[in-house]
Amino acid sequence: MTKTTIAVLAAAALAAGSALAQAPAGDAGRGAQKVQMCQGCHGIEGWRTAFPEVYKVPRIAGQHPQYFVSALKAYRSGDRAHPSMKGIAATLSDQDMADLAAYYAQPGETTRKASK
Amino acid sequence: MTKTTIAAAALSLAFATLPAAAADLAAGAAKAKEVCAACHGMDGNASQPEYPRLGGQHEDYLAKALRDYKSGARKNPVMAAFAKPLSKQDIENLAAHYARQARVVTAKY
Repeated sequence: MTKTTIAVLAAAALAAGSALAQAPAGDAGRGAQKVQMCQGCHGIEGWRTAFPEVYKVPRIAGQHPQYFVSALKAYRSGDRAHPSMKGIAATLSDQDMADLAAYYAQPGETTRKASK
Repeated sequence: MTKTTIAAAALSLAFATLPAAAADLAAGAAKAKEVCAACHGMDGNASQPEYPRLGGQHEDYLAKALRDYKSGARKNPVMAAFAKPLSKQDIENLAAHYARQARVVTAKY
């Protein structure tokens, strides 16, 4: 193998690696530092949206992290159109989203926090 | 007031809080089996991480999500294909079915 071939292969391997690494690993501890903006609506059982349509804000504790991130990304991109969620998601990095997903995926975590 | 009147009044109060179109749980379960269960499971607790868990989700939120997929307000090609053929009544029935399933998470927050 020539040096060029090796370099090309190495570059391809790196590219494949970075494609896999596209989704940052979430950290529930970091997520816990970022949930303040979520809890005003999602932390109150039975809380309802006021605009543009009235319905109970979804329960998000225990949701699959992968779905959780895809939902936030859909708000950020505009594929989902809720005004408040669009505004909030626009401020979140991919890392923030992964951290929040990890936080909300912890079973019982919110119960323990609330009872403190 | 007689006991019957009281019971009737209590019943009418209970029903007053339900959504306008009364959901048919049996029809919801049948439709869930036909349309949703392959990905979301009959109890709404999807095992695949890309599919949301629906069990115990708020009924009105589930109905809104289905309406938005149906109308295209919420853009997801897979869900659009499943939601388009659903009638208003199907949506109410499905939302009622999944809202009544147990949540995986015991957290109450």
